[in-house]
Amino acid sequence: MKQVKVILFNLILLAFSILTVVPFVWMLVSSFKPNSEIVKIGGSFLPDTFTIQNYINVQERFDFLRMFGNSLFVAVVVTGTVIYTSAIVGFALAKYTFKGREFIFGMILGTMMIPWAVTIIPRYDMIVNFGWLDSYIALILPSIFSGFGIFLLRQNIMTIPDDVIEAARMDGATEWYIFHRVILPMSRNAISSIAIFQFLWVWEDFLWPYLIINTQSKQLIAVGLKLFSGQYGTDYGGLFAATAISIIPVIIVYVTFQKRFIAGISGAAVKG
Amino acid sequence: MNGNVVERKKQSIFSLKNVTIVILLLHFSIFMIYPIIMAFVGSFHHWNPLSNVFEFTGIENYIQILNSKLFWTSMSNTLIFSLVVIFFRVSIGLVIALALYSKLSRFKTTFRTIFYMPTITPLVAVSFVWVWLYNPQFGLINEVFNLDINWLRDSRTALPAVMVMTTWKDFGYATIIYLGGLMSLPKDAFEAAEIDGANSWTAFKYLTWPLLTPITMLVAVTSLITYLQSFIQILVMTEGGPGTSTYTISYLIYEDAFINYNFGSASAMSVVLFVCISGLTLISFKLTQKKAGV
Amino acid sequence: MFKKLWISMLVLLSVLVACSGGGASNNLTKDETPDKGMEVFGEAVMFNPNKLVNDGEPITIELWTWGAEDVFQKQIDAYKEIYPNVDIKTVVNPWDEMWTKLPLALQGDDGPALFNIHNSQHDNLINFLAPYDIPLADLQADFSGVDAHIIDGDIHYFDIGIMTGSIFYNKVLWEEAGLTEEDIPHTWEEFALVAKQLTKKDDTGSIIQAGYNFNGDYQAMVLGLPYQQEDLLFSENGQNINYDSEARLAFTEYLHELYYEHEVGSPNFGDDSSQSFGNGQSAMVYKWGWFQGELNNNYPDIEWGVFQTPFITEEIPFAIDRYNGESTFGINKNAPSAEQEVAQDFVRFVLAGDDFSVDYALLNSTFPTKYAVANHAEILSNPVLSVLSENIDRYMWPGPFPAIIETVSGQVFQEIFYNRKDIESVLSQAQEDIENGMSQSKFISAEKNYLHYND
Repeated sequence: MKQVKVILFNLILLAFSILTVVPFVWMLVSSFKPNSEIVKIGGSFLPDTFTIQNYINVQERFDFLRMFGNSLFVAVVVTGTVIYTSAIVGFALAKYTFKGREFIFGMILGTMMIPWAVTIIPRYDMIVNFGWLDSYIALILPSIFSGFGIFLLRQNIMTIPDDVIEAARMDGATEWYIFHRVILPMSRNAISSIAIFQFLWVWEDFLWPYLIINTQSKQLIAVGLKLFSGQYGTDYGGLFAATAISIIPVIIVYVTFQKRFIAGISGAAVKG
Repeated sequence: MNGNVVERKKQSIFSLKNVTIVILLLHFSIFMIYPIIMAFVGSFHHWNPLSNVFEFTGIENYIQILNSKLFWTSMSNTLIFSLVVIFFRVSIGLVIALALYSKLSRFKTTFRTIFYMPTITPLVAVSFVWVWLYNPQFGLINEVFNLDINWLRDSRTALPAVMVMTTWKDFGYATIIYLGGLMSLPKDAFEAAEIDGANSWTAFKYLTWPLLTPITMLVAVTSLITYLQSFIQILVMTEGGPGTSTYTISYLIYEDAFINYNFGSASAMSVVLFVCISGLTLISFKLTQKKAGV
Repeated sequence: MFKKLWISMLVLLSVLVACSGGGASNNLTKDETPDKGMEVFGEAVMFNPNKLVNDGEPITIELWTWGAEDVFQKQIDAYKEIYPNVDIKTVVNPWDEMWTKLPLALQGDDGPALFNIHNSQHDNLINFLAPYDIPLADLQADFSGVDAHIIDGDIHYFDIGIMTGSIFYNKVLWEEAGLTEEDIPHTWEEFALVAKQLTKKDDTGSIIQAGYNFNGDYQAMVLGLPYQQEDLLFSENGQNINYDSEARLAFTEYLHELYYEHEVGSPNFGDDSSQSFGNGQSAMVYKWGWFQGELNNNYPDIEWGVFQTPFITEEIPFAIDRYNGESTFGINKNAPSAEQEVAQDFVRFVLAGDDFSVDYALLNSTFPTKYAVANHAEILSNPVLSVLSENIDRYMWPGPFPAIIETVSGQVFQEIFYNRKDIESVLSQAQEDIENGMSQSKFISAEKNYLHYND
C-alpha cells in the first residue's frame, strides 16, 4: 500500500515536471530544425532534416559568443561585488549598534519597493552627464548594492552567535579579519542564495543595458536575444539556438550553489 | 536584540562599520535618493530631453494622466495581472514545495532543478518561446489541444495567455522559498502533531500554514513588487495589443518615456505607480499581521 | 567551493573573449599623399578626392542604420580605398530599436557622427542635425528630392529615393490556382475574385493558404489608398488630420469584407504577412519597396512577382497611393568637429557618385531622385520599379507626418480585426487620439504640392 502511494505520488510529480519542461524540450529539438520546418503547419515533433545551421548562424550573424562573454563578465563582476557588499553591510547592520541602524535597514527594505520606472529616467540622465553611456561601469556601478542581498545576509548573520565574534576579538582579531575569516565563511548558505538570484537578475536584465549599451560588440545577451528577433524577421531557429546557449551559465551557477541555496533562504526565514 | 557586541576600545573612524555605512549611504544618495527626487520634481514639468524642454507646469501632467483612458486601462490590467499571477504562483509554489518536502517524494534534487528551470531562463527568451507556442498556425498549444485560438491577438485571451506564461516561469521561485521556509520549521511541533493523530490536512491547516505566514508574506510582497512593474513579457509578446487590451502601467511608462520622450508625464505615472506599490505593500503587511495576531 | 567556481568562470570568460577576436582594431595607416591621381567626379555636387582627410591622421566614425548595410559598406569600402586613414563602422539597429536608441545616443557626447534618417522621426532628430556643407543650388541641380527639406536655406537631409506600395504575389501558388499573367487584377473587385481563387481551406473549412493577407499592412494601406477617392489625409490648411473620413471607412469596410465575407484570409492566419508570404502560406500581400530586400535576404526560395495596386475603376484615380521619401544621412552636430568633417566629406562622396543612388534604389525598390540615374537600365528592369514607373507622378506625398498617425493606425487594425469593434466608432476614436497626439506638433501637410492637386 505504501509502495503504491509513493509511486502514484511521484508519477503526479513527474507529470507536472513534464509539463514544466515541455517548452524547453520543444525549443531544444526545434533549434535543430531549419526555419521552414519550424513554421510548417502541422509539422512533426522530431526534425525531418537535422541541422546545426541555426547555431552557426547565430554566431556568424551576431557574434553571439561575444555577447555571451560580455554578459558573463558583467554578471560575474556584479554578482561578486553584490555578495561582498551584502555581506559586509549585513554584518554591520546585524552585529553593530549605532544610531540610525534601524532607519538604514528600513530604508534598504524601502528601496526594494521603488519601481524601476521612477529611477530609470534620472539615472539615465545622470549616466549621460557622467559620460558613461556605452560603458560597463554604467551597468555595474548602480547595482553594486542590493536591498534583497543585504536583507538576506543580515538575517543570516544575525543567527551567528555573538560569542563567536567575541572569541575572535579576544584573540586580537581586527574587525576586517573577523569579517573575512569568520563571518564570510559562516554565511556560505546565504551567499549561495544571493549568488543564484543576483546572477540571474543580471543575466536577464533587459531595459538598462538596452538603453546604455550602443555598440553591438559590447551588447549583453538578453538584449541580443531581442534584437536578434527584430533584425531578421523572427528567425525562430536562431532564437531557439541562442536561447538554448543562453540558459547554460545560469544552470551551471544553479547546480553549483543549489545545495546551500535552500539552506540560505531557510536562514533568512528566521524571525528578526 | 542581537547586536549588543561590545564595541572595540580604540575606535578608528575608518572602522569596518563606518566605512561600510558611509559608502552605502553615498551610493544610495547618488543612485537612489537623487533619482527619486529628480523624478518627483520632473513629474511637475514638461520634460523632453530631445528638444531640451524642462518647463514647470504644476500638476498638469497628473491631471493629464488621470484623465487618460489608457492610463486606467493599464492600471486595471496591471492589477488583474498581478493578483492572478501572485495567486497561482503562491498556490502552485506551495503545493509543489509541500510535495517535494514530503516523505513520499523521490529524486528530490532532480525535481527541484526541473521546477526551477523556467525561473532561471531569461525572461526575454522565455517570452519569445511562448510567442511561438501560442502561434495560431504552428504553435504547440493549438496543435496539442486541437484548438484554433489566436491567443495573443484576441483581447479575451491575450492577457490570460501572458499570465499563464508568467506563472509558468515564476512558480519555481515560490517553490524554492517555501522549501527554505519548510526546512526552518521546528520539527518537534510536527512530531507532536503526529502523535496527537492529526491528519495531514489538519496539520497543514493549523500548523504548517500559520507557521509559513512570514514566507507567504515574503513571496507575496516580492511578487507584488515585481508584477506591478511587469513589462518585458508585454513588450515581447503583445506590445500592449490587441488594441490597447494588454497595456500594463510599466509598459505605458516605457512607451511614454522612451518612444514619445514625454519624460515629465512618464515620471508622473511612475510616481503614481510608486504610491500604489507602497500602499498595497503596507496593506498586505497589515492584513497578515492581523491574521497572525502579532 | 567558491574559489573554484569563480576561477572556472573567469577561465571560461577569458576563453570566450579570446575566441571572439577581442575587438576589431583594424590598423589605420597615416595618409601622407594628398594627390590620389584621381579625377574630380560628379555633376553639380562634385567630389575632389585629391586631398587629405583629417590631415591624414587615423580616425574612426560610426554610421548607424536599420538596414541596407551592404549598400553602405560598398560606399565605405570605396571611400576607405582612397583614404586609408579613415574607418567608418556601421552599427545596425533593428527598426524599432533604432528610434529609441538613436535620439538617446545623440544626446550624449558619444553619439554616432553619421546615421540613417527616416522622415517619420523628423521631430525627434532635427535638433541634432548639422546642415550639409554642400551649396543648396548644387543639390537642387542633381536631385529632385531636395525642395521639401529646405529649412532656413539649409539642407540637413533629403530624399534619395521614393518608396511606395504594390502587390507582391507568389508565382508558384498563382500557377497552381490556374491563373496566368492575364488574370492580374486592375480593380479592387477583380482583386477580391483572384484572392478567392488563391485561397485554400482544409476539410473543416479553416484556411491553410491565404489568398491575400494584410495582417500588419493595414496601417500602410489606410494612409494611402483612400487617395484613390480624392480623400486627403489632412484638412485644407494642412494642419488638421482628416482620419475619420468616408473613403477611409469605405476602404476599411472593403478589407473587412475580404476577410469576413470572401474569406480570402484571416487576422488569425499568418500574424505577420511578410513572414507568411515568405513561408509560402499567403499568396498575395501589399508591401512597400523594402519588401524586395527582405524577400531576397530572408526568403530567397520564394518565386514572386509584382503588380500595381488595383484602382477603384479601370481609370487612373486622382492619386494611386501615398509615397514616402527614403532619406539621406544625417550628420550629428554634436560630434567632435574632426568627425563631422569626415562625415561631411563622406556624404559629398556618396552624393557625387551614382552608384549609391542606383544600389539603394535596387535594394529597396525606391525610385531614385537623382536625375542622372532615373533612366538607368537596371532601374527600369527592376520588377517593382518597372511596375511603378508608368504612373510614378500619380503618387502623393503628405509630408513627414508624425509617427503617431501610423501607431494609431496599427491600433485601429487591431481594434477592428482582433477586438471586433465597430469600424465607424474605431475610426472616430482614432481621429480623436491622433488629434490629441498631434496637439503639440507643428507639422503642415505637403499634400498641396501634389502635381495633380487641382485636377
